Formats: sequence, structure tokens, C-alpha cells
Amino acid sequence: MTSLSSKNGAGMIEFRGVNKWFGQLNVLRDITLSVEPREVVVVCGPSGSGKSTLIRCINGLETIRDGDLTVDGQRLGDPATNMTRLRTEIGFVFQSFNLYPHKTALENVTLAPIHVRKIPRTEAEKAGRELLAKVGLADKVDAYPAQLSGGQQQRVAIARCLGMRPKIMLFDEPTSALDPEMISEVLDVMVAVAEEGMTMMVVTHEMGFARKVAQRVVFMDAGAIVESGTPDEFFSNPKTDRSRAFLSKILRH
Amino acid sequence: MIWQQLQSIAGSYPLALRGLGMTVVLSLISLVLGTLLGFGLGILRTGGNRLISSAIGAWVDLIRGTPFLVQIFLIFFILPELGIELDAFTAGIIALTNLAACFICEIVVAGIRSVPTGQVEAALASGLSRWQRMRQVVLPQAMRIVLPPLVGQYVLLIKDSSVVSAIGLTDLTRVGWLVVQRVPNGLLVFFLVGLGYFIVCYPLIMLARRLEQRMGAAHGEVQI
Repeated sequence: MTSLSSKNGAGMIEFRGVNKWFGQLNVLRDITLSVEPREVVVVCGPSGSGKSTLIRCINGLETIRDGDLTVDGQRLGDPATNMTRLRTEIGFVFQSFNLYPHKTALENVTLAPIHVRKIPRTEAEKAGRELLAKVGLADKVDAYPAQLSGGQQQRVAIARCLGMRPKIMLFDEPTSALDPEMISEVLDVMVAVAEEGMTMMVVTHEMGFARKVAQRVVFMDAGAIVESGTPDEFFSNPKTDRSRAFLSKILRH
Repeated sequence: MIWQQLQSIAGSYPLALRGLGMTVVLSLISLVLGTLLGFGLGILRTGGNRLISSAIGAWVDLIRGTPFLVQIFLIFFILPELGIELDAFTAGIIALTNLAACFICEIVVAGIRSVPTGQVEAALASGLSRWQRMRQVVLPQAMRIVLPPLVGQYVLLIKDSSVVSAIGLTDLTRVGWLVVQRVPNGLLVFFLVGLGYFIVCYPLIMLARRLEQRMGAAHGEVQI
């Protein structure tokens, strides 16, 4: 891979020929993908296709074996890249929420701003309350995660990411662990975040969300990007057998 | 008759108090130092450095796998051979602190490993440094697992402190040995020695039990 000058490229996230193995298993195959600032990309595909691994590489929760991955102009794995600092620019929403159970909703939101951004506590708490109000949880500020429903926990988790004022938000199947009636409250918050111009990569099977806010849908299978296009193209005219088979399964209901 | 025997022992009570004092002071200092050291070792052991981690593991196994009496003899009689002069009290503190640290290290490691990886990933993803992740996210959750066995371990260590009598420290156990040579009923003497240890340990046993019950609490910080 020649080192194309990443800083000149407009891509907020740039994969170039990225490969990753888990033992013998080639979980990411020759991934080349560029996500522009303010772009919303939905990643879908069958389970085990590598879509979670793909976005976990972006904030270094997984490391890549070869190829280039550049995020916000900084090359991952480069000794000059301060990974801890880069992570403060990238919000990550987990399938299982991963809120800190020993901290209240507000403390979950303010922890990183206070300790990483060094924002004074009173200021961080004010911003935290506003964020929790924004995700519809003004009355749950002092609740512990165990006292909240799944949908509420995931909204706190999104507020926790927004508290760092990130440039990029990554969502790893954010609604897969939720009861059906709670999915829309989380999707609504995600739509609002997207409409504010956040750069987002969202691993999800919520095709309604994809149609509404995504500029692009990326379909993965067996570790490779099989197809990529606008939601309209992808849903109405999937180009490959594998994407057609996948869509027929998830859109059947 | 028991009454007469008690009277014959009663004269030794200043010595007994001194012994009890020695046991308490020795245990207290060693437990405080051992807890600090044990947490440090536990945190290092679960850290990224494989060399440090396995070195600590090997030391902990060595200490856990040898009798405390042997360890205290080695420290008290071998270190002076290497030019490090120690009085019995310092040797006792070093031996007990080391023993406490090794057992506490294992308890802390188990606590840290009980925290779900998702918690560490969430802390990592929000840019917290290694120490911030440990201090803010991992340790508070690990404490729920750590506290009950930690206090239980204190009880064991207070009882283990009786071994320091072997290097001539006048703790409660040694007072027992001294008194028993002067009075006819040795059983009664050691009954009283046992009672002394029990009085020190029983509050801790109760505390450990309360902490275990609290583990069931669904949320919130652990408060002692």
C-alpha cells in the first residue's frame, strides 16, 4: 500500500486495504472505505460478517493487521498518533450499553468530560443535565443504570458520548439488545444526532433508520464489503445475490 | 479449683496485656502495609506488562506455597547473613506484610477480573487513561467482590501473627508459652490466649458477614 497523503484526503475515516485475522479467520478482507465529514453510513450484513469488528477498529478497540486506517487525519498504529487523545474525538455506543453501574446517569455523562477534558465539575454537570434533557431523560439524572429500562440506558450512553463533543459517533448494533417498544426512542435520538451533522457509522439492521438518515449503506459478508450505495439503490435494486438474500430475510416481516 | 487456678494466672495479666498489645500492633501495621502493597501488586499483575505480571505471580505462588514459619525464619536468620541487620519486630512486620500482600494480591486480581470487559471498553472508548480507568471504573466495581474476602483474610492474618513468637517477639502466643511454665494448668492458659485472639477477630468476622450480605445490593457505591 503506497501511503497516499491522508491529511489531504477529505475522509474523516479512511480504510485502505485493511485486513484483520482472528487466528486463521480473515475477519476483515481488503476493506477500502472512506467516510466523509457529516456523512452517515449504515453498515449491515449477516452476523459474523465483520461489521462490528470494522467499527471497533476505528477507535482502536481492535487492531488491524495490515493496510491503512486513518481517522481524523491520524494514522492508527503510527507511533505519532496518541490513541487515547484520538478516542476522545470518537463516541462509541455499545450494543450492551456498558454504562457504569456504580455511577448515576449524570455521573456517567460527566466522568470523561471532568477527568479527560478537565472541564470544571459544575460546568460539566450543567452540560450533562442539558444532554440528558436532550435525550428525554431530564427526570432520570440521579438514577442508577439498574433503575433504568434498556432504552433509557442506551439514551444515557448516547448522552455520555455526546458529552465529549466528539467528531465521530460509532454505533455497534445500538438497538439489538432492546425490547421492540424501546427501539424507536433510541432511533429518534440517533436521528437527531445525525441531523445535527455528526459523522456517523452505524451497524444496524434498522432499515427504516437507514432510509431516513443514511447517505450510504454498506453491505458486508464474510469480512468483505460486498456492496455499497445509497439506501434507495441498495433497498430497491440490490446488485448481488448475497445482498438480495440478506434483504429478503430482514425485510420479510 | 478452677477459681484457684485463675487466681494463679491472674498475676500475669500485665504480661498478657503487653502480649495482646504486641499482637494488635503487629497485625495492624502489617495489614495496613499489606493491603496497600497487595492492591499495588494486584493492579500491576492485571496490567499489560507480561514480565511484571508473571514475576508477581511467581512470588505470590512461592509465598502461598510455603509455611509462614519457614518464611519468618528465612527473613530473621538469613537476611542478617547477607548483611541486613533486623530486629525481631521489623522482621515480623516484613514477613507478615509480605504474606498479607500476597494473599490480598490474589483477592484484588479476582476482583479486577470480575469486572466485565465492556466496562473497560467503555472507559477506553471515552479516552480515560489507564489509571483513570482503574480508579474510576474498575476498582469501584471490583471492591464489591474484593471486600468480603479481604476482611476474612484479615482474620486469618491476625491468627497467623502468632507465628512471630517463634523469633522471640512477646506477642499473645508467646505470653502463653511463658505463663504456662509457671502455673499448673496449661490448658486454661491457652484457653485464655485463644479467647484473646477471638476478641480481636470476632468484630472482623461480623464485618465480613455484613459486607457479604450487602453484596446483594443492586447498585450504588460500596460504603464501609
